Amino acid sequence: MRFSFLNLAKQALSAHRHWPEQWRFPEPKAEYDAIIIGAGGHGLGTAYYLAKEHGLRNIAVLEKGWLGGGNTGRNTTIIRSNYLWEESQGLYEHSVKLWENLSAELNYNVMYSPRGVMMLAHTVHDIQVFKRHVHANRLQGIDNEWLTPEEAKEFCPILNISPNMRYPILGAALQRRGGTARHDAVAWGYARAASAMGVDIIQNCEVKGIRRDPSGAVTGVETTKGFIGTKKIGVVAAGHTSVIMSMADVRMPLESYPLQALVSEPIKPIMPCVVMSNTIHAYMSQSDKGELVIGAGTDAYTSYSQTGGLHITTHTLDAICELFPNVRRLRMLRNWGGIVDVTPDRSPILSKTPVKGLYVNCGWGTGGFKATPGSANVFAHTIAKDEPHPINAAFTIDRFKTGRLIDEAAAAAVAH
Amino acid sequence: MLLIPCPHCGNRPELEFRYAGEAHIARPADPSTTSDQEWAEYLYFRSNPKGLHIERWRHVSGCARFFNCVRDTVSDTILKTYPAGQPKPDLALIVKEAHQ
Amino acid sequence: MSDSKITRRSAFEGLHPIDVAGAVTVAPAPYATRFSFRGDPKAASACSKGFGVMLPNALLKAESDNGRTAISLGPDEWLLIAPDGEVEALEASIEKALDKQHHSLVDISHRNTAFTVSGPKAETLLASGCLLDLHVSAFPVGMATRTIYSKADIVLWRTAADTFHVELWRSFVPFVWGLLEEASQEL
Repeated sequence: MRFSFLNLAKQALSAHRHWPEQWRFPEPKAEYDAIIIGAGGHGLGTAYYLAKEHGLRNIAVLEKGWLGGGNTGRNTTIIRSNYLWEESQGLYEHSVKLWENLSAELNYNVMYSPRGVMMLAHTVHDIQVFKRHVHANRLQGIDNEWLTPEEAKEFCPILNISPNMRYPILGAALQRRGGTARHDAVAWGYARAASAMGVDIIQNCEVKGIRRDPSGAVTGVETTKGFIGTKKIGVVAAGHTSVIMSMADVRMPLESYPLQALVSEPIKPIMPCVVMSNTIHAYMSQSDKGELVIGAGTDAYTSYSQTGGLHITTHTLDAICELFPNVRRLRMLRNWGGIVDVTPDRSPILSKTPVKGLYVNCGWGTGGFKATPGSANVFAHTIAKDEPHPINAAFTIDRFKTGRLIDEAAAAAVAH
Repeated sequence: MLLIPCPHCGNRPELEFRYAGEAHIARPADPSTTSDQEWAEYLYFRSNPKGLHIERWRHVSGCARFFNCVRDTVSDTILKTYPAGQPKPDLALIVKEAHQ
Repeated sequence: MSDSKITRRSAFEGLHPIDVAGAVTVAPAPYATRFSFRGDPKAASACSKGFGVMLPNALLKAESDNGRTAISLGPDEWLLIAPDGEVEALEASIEKALDKQHHSLVDISHRNTAFTVSGPKAETLLASGCLLDLHVSAFPVGMATRTIYSKADIVLWRTAADTFHVELWRSFVPFVWGLLEEASQEL
């Protein structure tokens, strides 16, 4: 079934009661050519590109909960590619280019909105760092520009640029092609398109073990729905990556932290872009429903609790009220936490592993949503060809041994 | 916010503390003979368990001492704290004590 | 030698007084001599002789005698407070009593400053930024500890049922004072 104007009109005649299911709910087969662990955006996308670009149709995506119910459903949907190092720029820019055409490609509206991402500078150090980013990005053909406080206010009129703030705004870096997309639509769009090509998405199926033959190569996974055979496993389990990888006796350079976000009551449009601030630890945008979407920082300690300390969100709201005084009286409707897996250099790992047939896509820390299409695309290549795509060749586990780190202090606008 | 039992000062709010990562990770005694893999393990690779985690904290706005802490990373329940320098405790025993 | 004259300025200069009649008064404490002392129990016992007050072995305690106070901040760390102008004399007598035992004695008279919070609402006012249980059953007279007020490190010492002595770095004064002033308006 394709979404089209004609289809929409046809379904409207029966009050939209007869739309078919968007994806299948299959029971697992005995064996697959490849298994992806984790049905978030990155995992579903990987399955989609494996099927579409590499002809692997006999594959399954295993999910212990429901699809898109982990960090995909818990993030603040910011998209940008204004990273400092060439490796990161290549990866995130690949992603932005895929975002630009994703709705048409998937025939599913992922609501990509390049409304601009503005990162605020509050100190001389911020100015130097952001200007360095602007130059580094432009050399690679990635848009990023420097704004004065007045220009920043023109772009986002509710911004407080008073010099009497505790940390006054001294300027901003703006990436106009950055923006947002609808988080669950991304998961659903990939799920629908992958399912249509024969990919089995198996929900409520938790992986309990990874089986290997005497040579060490993977032969399948133990799950709550029984053993499933395969010679290739792609682990895309975000905060739980260390847990899954330990089933194959692989230790990871990862630590998992709770990261919180919250939304306000819905109001009329007041926020035309995304605003982020490193220094005072806050970022905000407005969803199409009218809610202000606010991201906080991580807790200090590792945890799998999917909650977080109230003092973390309070700290962020202090900063939000200072930056946007006219939202002071708004009520916050919901807050929640996700578990983010953080690497020592704040760059992801998209890599083969010491175990034959085991591949891992992790370490996105606080900023994985923006990379969903690009990450999935090159990870599918890595699994299909058993070698990395040139774009993710540098994002190995081995870099922590060789010392060739991709040190992105800017991997998220908030410090990790 | 956690309420952390400092082994010296008793229960104190989390904001008085700094987290300092996984505990009982010893620096290789002779870095010049340590392989790259061992050095990477020491610097970057962590257990990151879903369950009991032994970690360092510093009561920086209190007695300022480092100490070690056994915490369940699923519920954030703290099962035991003990001064730095003491050997790694028997986790099975701690779980048994906690259930008594 | 330069002939420029060094003048001493109070960290509380220019701040609004905090005084809510019948509830609470916040007042700058007089200038004082202060040391940070660190050492093992043997050194602490020697230091007690030189300082004239027994350095408490138990944690979170203040001992006072003859205008001098020793507060145990950690297992091997004490804050020593004495009247203004005794730095040289005390330093000499403590060093003599220690007789080259391993220790650290640092003059922090000018880094720190202090104020008192007194009155029936003293607990309530401090609770505006202090996370500890300040009820006298949990924080009795004679108890002292390093803690935080909002985001600033302080040393909090209960000198009487309704009086607290607050030690802090002098550069934190405007921040802490401003928050106390704001909180006092809600008493």
